[in-house]
Amino acid sequence: MKSREQEYKEIFIAEALEYYDALNRHISELERKPQDDQVLAEIFRLLHNLKANAKAIGYLQISDVSHKLETAFSLIRNKELNFSDEVVTVLFDGIDLLGDLINNIDNDSFGEADPVLLRNLDIIVDSLSDSTIELAKVQKYNTSRNLSLSDLIYIQIKKLDHLLNLVGELMIDRDRILSISRELENDDLKSVSSHLYRITEELQYSVMDARLVAIGSLFNKFPRIVRDIAVAEKKEVNIELSGQDIQIDRNILQIITDSLLHLVRNAITHGIEKPEERIKKEKPREGQISLTARSDRDNVIIRLTDDGKGIDLKQVKKAAVDRHLLSAAVANELPDIEALSFLFEPGFSLAKEVTEFSGRGVGLDVVKNAIDSIGGRISVDSVKGKGTTLTLQLPTSIAVKGALLFEVDEIFYAIPLMHTESVVSLDKDELHEVGDVLVANIKGETITVAYLHELLNAKETAMRLGDKTKLKGQVQDIIIVSYNNRKLGLIVDKLYRQQDIVVKPLSKPLDKIDLYGGVTLLGTGKVCLVLDVPAITRYFTNRR
Amino acid sequence: MKKDKEKETEIQVESATEVAPPSESKEVSSLEAATKGASGEETIHLITFKLGSEEYGIKIEQVKEVTVTPSITRMPRTPDFVRGVANIRGDIIAIMDLEERFGIRPAPVAEGINPNITYTLVIEAKDYKIGVVVREVPQSLNLTMSKIDKTPAFLQDINVHENYIEGIAKLENRLIIVLDMYKILTNDEIKELVD
Repeated sequence: MKSREQEYKEIFIAEALEYYDALNRHISELERKPQDDQVLAEIFRLLHNLKANAKAIGYLQISDVSHKLETAFSLIRNKELNFSDEVVTVLFDGIDLLGDLINNIDNDSFGEADPVLLRNLDIIVDSLSDSTIELAKVQKYNTSRNLSLSDLIYIQIKKLDHLLNLVGELMIDRDRILSISRELENDDLKSVSSHLYRITEELQYSVMDARLVAIGSLFNKFPRIVRDIAVAEKKEVNIELSGQDIQIDRNILQIITDSLLHLVRNAITHGIEKPEERIKKEKPREGQISLTARSDRDNVIIRLTDDGKGIDLKQVKKAAVDRHLLSAAVANELPDIEALSFLFEPGFSLAKEVTEFSGRGVGLDVVKNAIDSIGGRISVDSVKGKGTTLTLQLPTSIAVKGALLFEVDEIFYAIPLMHTESVVSLDKDELHEVGDVLVANIKGETITVAYLHELLNAKETAMRLGDKTKLKGQVQDIIIVSYNNRKLGLIVDKLYRQQDIVVKPLSKPLDKIDLYGGVTLLGTGKVCLVLDVPAITRYFTNRR
Repeated sequence: MKKDKEKETEIQVESATEVAPPSESKEVSSLEAATKGASGEETIHLITFKLGSEEYGIKIEQVKEVTVTPSITRMPRTPDFVRGVANIRGDIIAIMDLEERFGIRPAPVAEGINPNITYTLVIEAKDYKIGVVVREVPQSLNLTMSKIDKTPAFLQDINVHENYIEGIAKLENRLIIVLDMYKILTNDEIKELVD
């Protein structure tokens, strides 16, 4: 694996060579049409970018030569320098020198730029009218010019999407072949299929790698955005970024772009207080927002923290009761973390009392839907008066997901690991019939449990989730899923294993059924339904 | 094109048989797409099958392939007419039961027919495929356009089917209901799936 620095360097070189080619093209054109302002402006732009890029990455010679050329062209543009034959030669030499410098970045023996040429450049720039100083002849050292093409190409993300889909299909067939080869006990087939396995795996990681971008490409836009919003809101806000180097699938970054913008805007408009208010509360005048990214196994965690006024839980609970989402008695006992999850309820944000007083939650359900759609999770933590933290847990790649495989009523299902908390086996006696649900004490926590067979297959009017007699056998395998800070135990018939699966979206017209996040094919060729945890927990809550 | 226009041929159903290339850009959703027969009269090629005790037909352009129904994975909490999903050549497609969809009473299983084997017509719509399960081996049929009554008066009297029925083919003692499969899943249908 190449280091990040090496990668940046390669990108710089490829871009610089592109600039070099364009400069050559434009200066040749300019020689024919010296009065063309557009060409001149383009040359100017190219040199300027090259100078800035080279300086940023630390190639001072390149930035220095670009600067000299830029100055010369600005004089030409201002008609202070004539585009005469002599000058043209020097400029051509200068651009050639740029090309040589770029091509020899890695070549330590290349040495310094030709001092004569540099002096000539200085002469045309500095001694405008004084033509008495002779331009020295430059030794042409690159008479035999090598033509070379760039090492980088631009590619449409669509093409990478297609490639990733194909890899997904290939992986499904690979698993099938692997499973057949085990059944057939043929050594040749076994060895070739294990080779196929390794190659597809490498292919998969290569394609996934090609789609990765640095999270900084999004983060770095925020300082300016924060500044603009802060000015509009008459607030003083400082944003701190970290983890810009963390890499993530480009499409995932695309999907969360709007959400993140929304959350940052919320943090400033509703979280951070006005300077005078902050001083009264003995907080520093300037509000702090921090946006951090870090890798966590296969996931990327993005965290947005502000030191604003935080969320008033009392108001949240009151709003939830007012909207009949829960009873007043339940609200009093509700743990903070569960109360906060109401912020993500659709339409909840519109509650006037919330936006006025604690002022959070405008369109948080929209953000949640976006995160759900890529199989991520979002959680919120807040202390009144101190600030709020939003945590986004995102997959690094869309196509391949770790999942738990299991069986209910002879149908294979998978649940993405992202939404599973733990798996436990409980004796039937440890499950208790409470009202119309089952409840269990799991690791000191009271968790609602449902028999998935009953939840999925019983007639909706006759569904009896609180009836233990429906269960088969004495010991029950339970997958504990979690969504929006609420945990739910799902009893399955047979628990298989953990496996990486390629989720294929359901095709029309089934794509409208939100209970399923998609399907996958198992090595046996059997279809396996991928349950969507957000939808199944919603279905459970709304079943009445 | 066969000279004997109304000769019936049994479609070979092995593992899976391609019966038509995927419909290209040409407009095939109306009966006008029919081709000229040898005699110069317009003919139409149908795949026919039975639902309940009636005969139905689909234009061959709408049928991608006919296959023995593979194993179907039931999908809980979908409408009854969705039998589930099946893996057909690596594509996972929805399998529909039109008898259930139209509320057609299933006919008793005829003699000599194995009730455990059914056939699936793979219908290719513009951007997706669906499978339709039938009990008996679908047949292929060529007939002249003039045999099809496109606007029978009674179509106005029936509400449920009219969207899908393109016409009624009448030949000798048979009556074939010609369906337009592209209309089988309109927005209303999809809405029903969601609810």
